[in-house]
Amino acid sequence: MRRLLTLSSFLLLLSIILVWWNNSRQPKPIELIPTLTGQPEYCLTCHADLPKISASHPVETFGCVTCHGGERLALNADLAHSSMRGGANPSDLSVVEASCGGTNCHSGSEADDRHHIQRVTTSIQSTYAGAIASIRFTFGAQVDLTPRYGINAVTDDETQTGITSLLAFDPLSEANPSIQKFGEECLTCHINAMPREGEDYSRQTGCSACHSVGEHTLTTAIPYTQCNTCHNRGNYDLRTMTFTKRDDHPILRIDDYYQPIGVFTKCEYTLDCIDCHTRSESMGDGDIHKDQASIEYVQCKTCHGTLDELPLTKTLTDPNDIAFTLAFLNPVIDLKLGDTILVTEKGEPLWNIRILPNGTYEMYGKATRQYFTFRPVMGTACEQNPDEQESHYCHECHAVEH
Amino acid sequence: MRPSFFHHLHPPTIPAAQARWRHTLGAGGTTVFLMLVLGVTGILEMFYYVPNPEEAALSVQVITYHVPYGGFIRNLHYWSAQLLLIVSAVHLLRVIFTAAYGHPRRFNYLLGLGLFVLAIMLDFTGYILRWDQGICWPLTTGTNLIKTIPFIGDFLFRLAVGGGDACKTALTRFYTWHLFGLTIPVVVLGIWHAFRVRRDGGIAVPPPHARTDNVRISRNELVRREVLTMFIASILLVLLSSFFPAPIAPAMIGKPSPDAETRAPWFFLWVQQMLKWGDPFIFGVLIPFGILVILAFIPYIFPKPADSDIGTWFPKSNRLAQVAATVIAVFIIILTLLNR
Repeated sequence: MRRLLTLSSFLLLLSIILVWWNNSRQPKPIELIPTLTGQPEYCLTCHADLPKISASHPVETFGCVTCHGGERLALNADLAHSSMRGGANPSDLSVVEASCGGTNCHSGSEADDRHHIQRVTTSIQSTYAGAIASIRFTFGAQVDLTPRYGINAVTDDETQTGITSLLAFDPLSEANPSIQKFGEECLTCHINAMPREGEDYSRQTGCSACHSVGEHTLTTAIPYTQCNTCHNRGNYDLRTMTFTKRDDHPILRIDDYYQPIGVFTKCEYTLDCIDCHTRSESMGDGDIHKDQASIEYVQCKTCHGTLDELPLTKTLTDPNDIAFTLAFLNPVIDLKLGDTILVTEKGEPLWNIRILPNGTYEMYGKATRQYFTFRPVMGTACEQNPDEQESHYCHECHAVEH
Repeated sequence: MRPSFFHHLHPPTIPAAQARWRHTLGAGGTTVFLMLVLGVTGILEMFYYVPNPEEAALSVQVITYHVPYGGFIRNLHYWSAQLLLIVSAVHLLRVIFTAAYGHPRRFNYLLGLGLFVLAIMLDFTGYILRWDQGICWPLTTGTNLIKTIPFIGDFLFRLAVGGGDACKTALTRFYTWHLFGLTIPVVVLGIWHAFRVRRDGGIAVPPPHARTDNVRISRNELVRREVLTMFIASILLVLLSSFFPAPIAPAMIGKPSPDAETRAPWFFLWVQQMLKWGDPFIFGVLIPFGILVILAFIPYIFPKPADSDIGTWFPKSNRLAQVAATVIAVFIIILTLLNR
C-alpha cells in the first residue's frame, strides 16, 4: 500500500508538472485596445505579422473585430474564428452591412458620399441584371430587355433610371432549360460570386473583389490585373451555355489587356481601367441600371475633347472637394487648392488629371503612378466629325496594331 | 499514531471484505472527493465569472484564456462534474447490485438518489452558465419541457427560469440555482447521507451470524486507500483537463444562429432522443420521472433481499431489482448512443 501511495503521489506530481509545462508553452497574449471600441482584443497574438490593411483603417483605431467579427478574447483559433463575418472576407455582400456599414462608415447618406454599400449592391456588377435580362429575353422568358431579376433582390426607392426593384433570380424556377443552364454555368462574374478555379480568376468577393489586391489589403489603386480576374478571361458560349477559357497566355501587357478580338488605342492598354472608368461606372451610382452600357459613359472625348470643345474642367476652390479625398486615399498626385482638374459630363472629378499652364494636361496613373502628358484634340489635325465620338470611331485611326 | 481529524471521520475498524475496492469500486468516496474539487474550483471561477447576459460568455473566455491557469481550473471543474455523474451512477448501481439498500439503509438510499438528481441538475445549470451559442437551444428545449407538466408546469417554469424567453432571462436564476439553490441542498443531503452511512452501520455487510469472513481493517488503512483513490482520481482529472478542454462556443449576441448547437448535454441525450418519438410531456417528463420513481421504490416494493445477501455482489434474492436497474441503465445507454 505504501509503495502504491508513493508511486501514485509521484505520478500526481508528474501530471502537475505537465500542467505547468503545458501552460508555459502557450504564446504570450498580445493585447490591442482599438480606440474606436475601447474593448481589448487578442487577435494579434497570432496575426501580428499580417500586412496593414490600409492607411484608412489603422489597426490601432479599428482593431480587427470591428470589421471581421470573431471572439475577441479567445486564444483558441477555432473559437476565435468561429463567429467571424464572411470567413476571412468580411466584405462579402452577405455580411458587408455588419462589417463595413454604419452611417459614419460605408452605409451613410448619399449627401455625405458614404452610401458605398447601397451603390455596390444596386450596381450592375452585383445585380448582373443586364446579362440575366438579355438571356431571358433571348430564350423567350420575357418580352423585352427591361431587367426584372438580379442576383439578389434589391430595391431603389429614389430611382433615377425608372427601375425600382429587382427580384432574386432563381434559375430553377425557369421553364427554359437554356436559362437553367445559364444559371448553373454563367453566374460566376458578379462580384459576390465565388470565382472560377485557377490563379487567373483568383479574387475575393464583395468589396474585396476589387479592392483587395494581395493579402490583407484594401486599396483604391486597383490595377488592371485585378479587373482582369473577371474581365478578359474568356467568353461565354450562348449555344452551349458554357464558359470558354481564354487559351492564350499573354506575356506582354498589350496582349493581356483585352481579348485578342479587341481593337484598342495605346492609352487603353497603357493606362489602368480605373484611370478612365470612374467610381460611379465601376461601383454603381446608387441606381439600379438595366445593363453595363447604361452605366458606362466615359469616352475618349471626356479627356481629349473634340475639335470643337475642350474637355470639361473644374478649379478646386473647396478644401472639402471630393477630389481631395480621393487624392488622399490614393496619393499619386499632390492636388492643391486652385488646381484645375478634368471632370466628366456628370461632374465626376478626374482628379489625377490636371491642366498645365501651357494648355496641355498632366496625368498620374492611379495604379502605376506613371506620369503622362497629353494634348486636347482641339487644334490638332484630327478630322473626326464632332458628333461621332464613340470609341470605335477613334479606333479607326488610333488602333494599335502589333 | 494519534488519529487525526480525518481519521475520526471514519469508524475505528471496518470489515475487510466490504472495504475492498472491488466491492465498493471506491465510488462513494470518489463522489465526495469530486464534490470537494467542484467546490474549490467553483469558488475560484466565481472570482472572475460575471453573471450577466452580456458578459457571462466573455467572462468564461477570460477565465479560459487569460486568468493564469484559469483554463485548467475550468477544465477541472468541468471534468469533475462529468465524472461525478458517472461515478454517482456507478455508486447507485453498486448499491443495487450488492443489495446494500436493504433495511436499515432504505432511507439513506433515497437520500443518495436525491443527491444524484441534484448532481444532474447542478451539471445542467453549470452547463447553462457558459451562456454562449452552444446552450440556447438545449436550454429552450429543456425548460419548455417543464411547461408541459399539467397544472403546475407554468409555475415550475417561472420558478426555474424566471419567466419569458429562457435564452434572455434564465441566467440569473440558473446562477443562483447553481451556486445556492442546488449546492446548499447537496451539502446538507451529502452530510446527512454520510452521517446515515455511519448511523446505519457503515458499509453494508451481512449480519454477524451470516458472515463468513470476520477480518476487519483499521481506519488508518481505510484512509490510506481513500488517499490512493483520491490520487488516482486526481491524476485522471489532471490528464483529462490537460488534453480535453471543456466545451466553449462563441458568445451569444441576440438569438444564437440557427446552426448553433442543438444537441443536449451528454447526460440528457437519452431524453432528447425520446423527444423525437412524440408527446414531450410523456417522453420528456413522464418517462424520466417514472424511471426515477421505479428506482426510488426499489427498497420499498421490490422483493426484500435476504439478510445474508446484503453486501454481496449479485445475490439471488434481489434479482428483480438487478434486472430493473440493468434494463434502465441499458435503455439509457442505448438511447444516448442513438442520439448522434
